[in-house]
Amino acid sequence: MKTVEILVIGGGPAGLCAALSASALGAKVLIAERDEMPGGQLVKQTHKFFGSEKQHAGERGIHIGQMLLENAQAEPNIELWTSSCVLSIYEDGVVTIEHAGQHVKVKPERIIIATGAAEKFLGFPGNDLPGIYGAGAVQTLMNVDGVKPAQRVLMVGAGNIGLIVSYQLKQAGVEVEAVIEGSSKIGGYLVHASKIQRAGIPVLIKHTILEAYGDGQVEGAVIAQIDECWQPIAGTERKIACDTICLAVGLSPLTELAWQAGCEVAFIRELSGHVPIVNECLESTVPGIYCAGDVSGIEEASAAMVEGRLAGLCAAVSLSYGGAAAQTLIDDAKQELDELRAGSMGIHIREGLEKMALKSGQPKSEDDTLKSKSFAEIKSTLISDGIATADDIAAILPTPERFAKGPIAIAECFQEIPCNPCVKACKAGAITMPGDINDVPVVNGALCNGCGLCISLCPGLAIVVVDQTYSEDMAIVRLPYEYVPLPVVGTLATGLDREGNALGQFEVKKVTSGGKKNMTYTISLVVPKALAMDVRGVSVV
Amino acid sequence: MTSKDNEIMICRCEDVTKADILQCIADGYHTLDEIKRVTRAGMGPCQGRTCRQLIAAELAKHYGVSMEDVLMTTFRPPVKPISLGALADAYETRKDWSLE
Amino acid sequence: MKNFYDVVIVGGGIIGCSVAFELAKRGRKDVLVIEREYLTSGATGRCGAGIRQQWGSVLNATLAVESTHIFENLEEYTGYDRSCGLNQGGYLLVAYTEKEWAQFQKNLQVQHSVGVDSYAVDLDGIKEIVPHINTEGMLGACFCAKDGHADPFHCTYAYARGAQRMGVDIETYTTVTGFGVENGRISAVETSKGTVKANVVINCTGGYAAQMAALVGDELPITPERHQILITEPVAHIMNPMVMSLHRHFYVQQTPHGSVIMGIGDPTEPVSHNIRSSWQYLEHNAWLVTQTLPAFRSLRVVRQWGGSYDMSPDRNPIINEAADARGFISVAGFSGHGFMVAPRTAILLANHLTGQEDSLDIQRFSVERYETGALLLEPSVV
Repeated sequence: MKTVEILVIGGGPAGLCAALSASALGAKVLIAERDEMPGGQLVKQTHKFFGSEKQHAGERGIHIGQMLLENAQAEPNIELWTSSCVLSIYEDGVVTIEHAGQHVKVKPERIIIATGAAEKFLGFPGNDLPGIYGAGAVQTLMNVDGVKPAQRVLMVGAGNIGLIVSYQLKQAGVEVEAVIEGSSKIGGYLVHASKIQRAGIPVLIKHTILEAYGDGQVEGAVIAQIDECWQPIAGTERKIACDTICLAVGLSPLTELAWQAGCEVAFIRELSGHVPIVNECLESTVPGIYCAGDVSGIEEASAAMVEGRLAGLCAAVSLSYGGAAAQTLIDDAKQELDELRAGSMGIHIREGLEKMALKSGQPKSEDDTLKSKSFAEIKSTLISDGIATADDIAAILPTPERFAKGPIAIAECFQEIPCNPCVKACKAGAITMPGDINDVPVVNGALCNGCGLCISLCPGLAIVVVDQTYSEDMAIVRLPYEYVPLPVVGTLATGLDREGNALGQFEVKKVTSGGKKNMTYTISLVVPKALAMDVRGVSVV
Repeated sequence: MTSKDNEIMICRCEDVTKADILQCIADGYHTLDEIKRVTRAGMGPCQGRTCRQLIAAELAKHYGVSMEDVLMTTFRPPVKPISLGALADAYETRKDWSLE
Repeated sequence: MKNFYDVVIVGGGIIGCSVAFELAKRGRKDVLVIEREYLTSGATGRCGAGIRQQWGSVLNATLAVESTHIFENLEEYTGYDRSCGLNQGGYLLVAYTEKEWAQFQKNLQVQHSVGVDSYAVDLDGIKEIVPHINTEGMLGACFCAKDGHADPFHCTYAYARGAQRMGVDIETYTTVTGFGVENGRISAVETSKGTVKANVVINCTGGYAAQMAALVGDELPITPERHQILITEPVAHIMNPMVMSLHRHFYVQQTPHGSVIMGIGDPTEPVSHNIRSSWQYLEHNAWLVTQTLPAFRSLRVVRQWGGSYDMSPDRNPIINEAADARGFISVAGFSGHGFMVAPRTAILLANHLTGQEDSLDIQRFSVERYETGALLLEPSVV
C-alpha cells in the first residue's frame, strides 16, 4: 500500500494547480491522471484564455497546460502518474488506481478531487447515428490527434464550447453550416460568436435539432425554430446537410468519486447538475476530501485553476504546512475567484455558490454591492447573433477629429466578461477598465497611438486599428488573423464584414506575426475609407 | 409517446431508447433506480454517466417535479472497468489466505 | 394507503412481494406491502439470483424444486408482460476435497428422492460442460441442467404487479417505525406516513428481521452479514452453467445478457448492516475465480456492490409467529438462498394464513427448532 500526503485526482488545470500550490508549501503530492498526457482540457484548447494575468490570460490553453506540466515535473514534491485512472474511493480511505496495468492501492491523508466534467448528451431521433459527437470529442480529434474530423458540421449549442469549437473547426478547414441554440441569447462570450460570424458561420438562436438522418451515418439534420415553451414551430423545419453533428449542450460534473466517498451531493442547476457540497476552503462534507474545478460546478478553466490552487493550499495547511504566510495566499486565491465571478457572466455561478453555501451550513454574506450591481445590459441584437449593430458601433466610434489624427484602436467588446489583457498590452495606457476586470474596455483616443499591440493580445480578437489618414480615399484596417494560409503582402485578399459577407478584394499591406507563442497575426488591409468601419475579417481562400 | 421515441437513444451502453423509458414510466415505475433495474439503463460500462440525467429529466417532466427532487442512483465502484486479471495479480502480491 | 388492512407486509423484496401475491391469489386481497425504498432495493436486488435444486436436505431440495417449476412459468403465473430472465444453464458444483466429494454423493441421493435430475461428472465431464475450466485440484462435480439464474428485479416486479392487479397496495419509500400490540395480538403498524391498523403483519425484512421483531418483543436469531458481488462487461456467450465451489466459497455465472456475475463468501465477515464495497473483496474474488476460470482474466469488472444475507443459526429460513404478538409473523433467515425458494415459501405461508392444506409442515420452520434441536441442517451452503 502506497501512502501519500495529498492525492490529487485529475491532472487538468485544477489538479495541476492544486498539486503546485500544495507542494510549494512543502506537502508531498501524488497526481493521478487518467490520460497519457496531463493537462486535462488544456491540451486541446488552442484559443487564448480570458481572465487576468494571474490566470495567464492572453495565453493559449495548450501553452498554459505545458507550463503547468513543466512546473509540476520540476517540483520534487510532486509525483505525477499518467495513464492512471482512479477507480474508487473506499470507506477505509483507500483509493484504487489502475496504474501501469496494475490495480494499485493508495492511502492518502488528503484527497483533492479534480476530475472535471463530461459532455452532456441530447435526446433526438437518430442521436446514435455515427457522426454525432460531443463537441469536446471533436476538439480532441482535431487538436490533439491531428485528425480532420468532418467535412461539414452542424454545431448544437452556442455556449463557449460550441462557439470555440466551431471557430477551431473553421481553422481546420471544416465547413460549419450553422451553430444552433435553443435559448434566446447566446450563452458563450459574444466575442467568440462575433468571431465565427465574421467567418461566415451563422448563429441561430431559438433553434433546436428535431432529428438526425442518414443511412448508416449522419447525412444531415432537421432543425426548426422553437417557441417560448421550447416547442418546435410547425412550418419552420428545414434540413441542413452535414456529415457530423457536434453536441455542445453543456457539461456535467464528474462526481462519481465524490458520491462513492460519501460526500454530500446536491443538484444545483446553476452549477450544471449534481455537485459535491464544499465549504469556502473547497472541502467537502467528508473531512479531508476537497473538490476543485468543474467537479464542483462548471466554470471557465481560469476559475478551475484558481480553485485548484485554493484547494491545494487548504489541504496543505490542514497538514500543518505553510505557516502564517499561507493564509495570505489563501485569501488571494479567494479574492481572485470573487473577481472572476463578479461580472455579468458570473451571475449564475454566484447564485449557485450561494445555494451551495446555504446547504453547507455556511451561508455566505454576499457582497451587497455586487448583489445590487446592475450590469450593462446588451439591448441590441448583438446578444442573439453576435453581430454588433450600427448602434453598438456608434457608441464606441471615435470622433471624426480623432480619426483625422491617425490610427486608433477600436475595441468591439461590449460584454462584461472577466478579461483584461488589452489593458496590460497597452504601453500608452490608453485602454482602461473603470472598475474591475469584468468591465468593458474603454479606449482613450487622446492616449492611443494606434500601435496595434492590443490586436493580437486580445483573447476575443475583438480589437482592430483603423487608420483613416492613409490616403485621400483609402484607409488601413489592421485585423487579427488566425487561419491558414496567411495573406501575402502585395496581393489581394477578401475583406469580410461582421457577418462574413465579402466586401471586396483589398491590398494586403502588411502581415505581422504576434510571435511564436502568441500565434495571432495582424493583417493590414487597404480599404476604401467608407468601408473602414465595416471590414472586420480577412479571407484568402 | 411519439412514433420517433424508439429512435431516440438514451442509454448508449445498453441500447435503451426514450420509448423504453416512457413505457416504464407508463407502467408505474417512478424512480431512476427502478428504471435502471427494469431496463438496464445505466448498467453499462459508463454506469449511467450520460443517460442518468436524461432519464431524470424525463421523470421530472412526467411527475412535475424539479430535478433536485429526482432521487439519484448510487455510483458503484469502479468508475472505469478494470480486468479481473489485474485485480487477481494484485491479490497475488498481498495474498493473505489461500485456496485451502 | 388506507388506514386499515387485513394484512400488512413489511419489506418489498421477493419474499414480501411473493407472499402478497399468493395471499391475494387465495382471496386475502386486503393487503399492503410497505417498502423502505423501492421494490428490490434490499437483499433481493443485490443478490446473485441463482436458482439451484442441488441441495443436501430434502426440505431445501423440495422448496427449490417446486420453486423452480414456478420460476419456469413466472410470467404466465403472475401475468407479467416482460421477461423474468430465467436462464436454465445448469449449476456445476465442483468438488475440491474428498469430504466434499463424498457429501456430494449423499446429496445426489437426496436430490433424486425429490425428483431433481442431477448427476456426477468426472474431470472430462466437467470439461465437456465448461471447456475452458481449469480442473486442477478438482475431484469431480455435480451437475443439474435445470438449475440456473433469473432476473431478481423482474421476478419481484412480476409478483408485485400481479398482486397489485388483484388489489394489493404497495407503498414504497415508507419506513416502519414501530408496531401496535393489543391483548397479545398485533394491531397496527406505525410508519413514516402514519399508522396503519392490521390483523396480520408479516415481517419480510431479511437482515433487519430481528430488529423488526424486537419491536414487538420477539427475539429472532437472525443476523445480517455482508456478501459482495461483482459483474463484468458483457461478452459473447462462453459459459452456460453457474460454476460454484462450496469449498472455495465462490460462484460465477454468465447471464443471458453476456455479463459475468460472481461472488464469494468470506468466513471472516462480521455481523453488520454494512453493505459497502471493499477493494479487498474485489481482488480476492478476481483471484479465486480466475484460478478456476483463467479465461476470465481479460474480462473487465464494471461494477461491484454489497448486499446482506439474513443468517440464521442453521442457515435455513425461519417462519415464526411472535409469542407475545400473535399475528406478527416473521419470514426471514434465508441465509443467502431466499430468492430461489421464495415462490414455494410464499405458497406455504399463504396456505397457512388462508387455512389451506400444504404438503410441507410450516411448524418445522419455527424458532422452536433451536430449542428442541430439530435443526434444518443443510450441508451445501456457500
